[in-house]
Amino acid sequence: MNTTRWAGGWRGIEALGRMALVPVNHLLEELDFLAAVLISLSLTPSGQWPFLFRHVWQQIYFTAVQRAYVFTVVGLIIGALTAFPLIVFGIHDPQLLGRIMHIMMYHQLNPILGALFVAGLSGAAITAELGELRANQAIEHLAAMGVNPYGFFVLPRLIGVTVSLLILIFWLNLGVTVGAAVMLGFYQNIPLEVFFRVCASGLTIGAAVLTTGMAIMQAIHIVLVQTLRAFRVRAYVDIPRTLPSAFAQSFIGCLLISLLFSLVRYG
Amino acid sequence: MADSLVRVSGLTLDLYPVPEPFDFQALAGELWMLLGAVDSGRGELIRVIAGLARPQSGRIELFGVDTERLSRRASIQLRSRIGVVLEQTGLVPAWSVFENLALLIKYHGLAPDRAVEDHVVKFIEACRAPSAILAKLACDLSPLESRWVGLLRALIIRPRLLLVSAYLPQETLTAGYDVWTFFEEIVVPMNMTILVDAGPQALPIGPETRLLIMERGSVRAAGRAGDLAEHPDPQVWRYARSSHA
Repeated sequence: MNTTRWAGGWRGIEALGRMALVPVNHLLEELDFLAAVLISLSLTPSGQWPFLFRHVWQQIYFTAVQRAYVFTVVGLIIGALTAFPLIVFGIHDPQLLGRIMHIMMYHQLNPILGALFVAGLSGAAITAELGELRANQAIEHLAAMGVNPYGFFVLPRLIGVTVSLLILIFWLNLGVTVGAAVMLGFYQNIPLEVFFRVCASGLTIGAAVLTTGMAIMQAIHIVLVQTLRAFRVRAYVDIPRTLPSAFAQSFIGCLLISLLFSLVRYG
Repeated sequence: MADSLVRVSGLTLDLYPVPEPFDFQALAGELWMLLGAVDSGRGELIRVIAGLARPQSGRIELFGVDTERLSRRASIQLRSRIGVVLEQTGLVPAWSVFENLALLIKYHGLAPDRAVEDHVVKFIEACRAPSAILAKLACDLSPLESRWVGLLRALIIRPRLLLVSAYLPQETLTAGYDVWTFFEEIVVPMNMTILVDAGPQALPIGPETRLLIMERGSVRAAGRAGDLAEHPDPQVWRYARSSHA
């Protein structure tokens, strides 16, 4: 009886251990994949550079340029929504308002929102596209005929999404600032230029570097998770199964990266 | 002595049950038909030679070079001389046929940028395919067109080794021009080594056609169809005496 209980206990501990190892294994897989992608950069034949530039630009166009309108609207609305609690609490001090904008929006919420949109829109598109190329053996054909799949399919998306996320976060910050400024100007009579000045004055090189670093890590994580999952697709039926789990994994990773950077910044 | 383009020694395919190791070599300009039952390991052998699957053990030499000892860069260069056609068509659906055909030429720098279009058009015309197909998106192609464009993409780089592990349709994109004539007119003059695992009735077998008869992941017999027709093993001579692979 006791032996059975002990055995059950050990199985439980083993299961917990395995669960704890899952994120570690994911991280190791991701790093392994990143290494393969970076190595592919050094193997790029001269004929691939035009493809690389073209695909990077296509990715930036698809992720940042085409979504600029959506991000403007989202930024303005979120800026207005952010202003309401400040109005309700009657915060009039422009310095305090600027600090709240920095800590809440520029450092944390906007990068998370940007990552959420990029993972949901471009990340899902990357998984679907590469998943289809896996299912119809296009990647296998090209790899067998000397095309490096990491350099050809992953690297341009990695660079494109990274640049795009930086642009979109910048764009979102602008939208949020304008949205909040309009609401605060309307309800609290805070002049727009005063609000813009306090928001701009809080910008430091250190903070910008940290936010940029965070966005780069988030973008890399999104692309690696989505392409890694796409590369595991075996048949067309796997694609709809892969999409939601790849999105969830990439977004949770982005949240953890934000948490990590917030700990570095404020911890 | 003729050059050995493909040489496998002590090769054990990664199949279950574990097959017997075998040796095989294909010389420059030879056409080999892979024959055998569905699970005989024909497709797996093509995948192993194409570098898409790893064997359990054994050595693979392509163009006289051990593939295991190659650096990544050398491996890319070596594989740029191999044309591969697998079960699925493997085209990029969002690209036009021209883009799909031009990809490998541009990637491996096989023609100057300005000459790529001319190169592709001339090749399509030589293969008697309608040049209007070049403007079509790969996702809009019929299954027959996709299959042919997949084959043309492998041939357009003028590979020294062609690996085919796919069903070959009997009809081409031009009425009255069948696959056998296409092989005689276009593929054979390219003087490449060809390994075909293309299913029944893919290509005609003559006495000089080389057959690789596989069973349970290993080679049962290999040689000219004319020689194998006198083989004591009835399963071997049955394959060798049939008029097509």
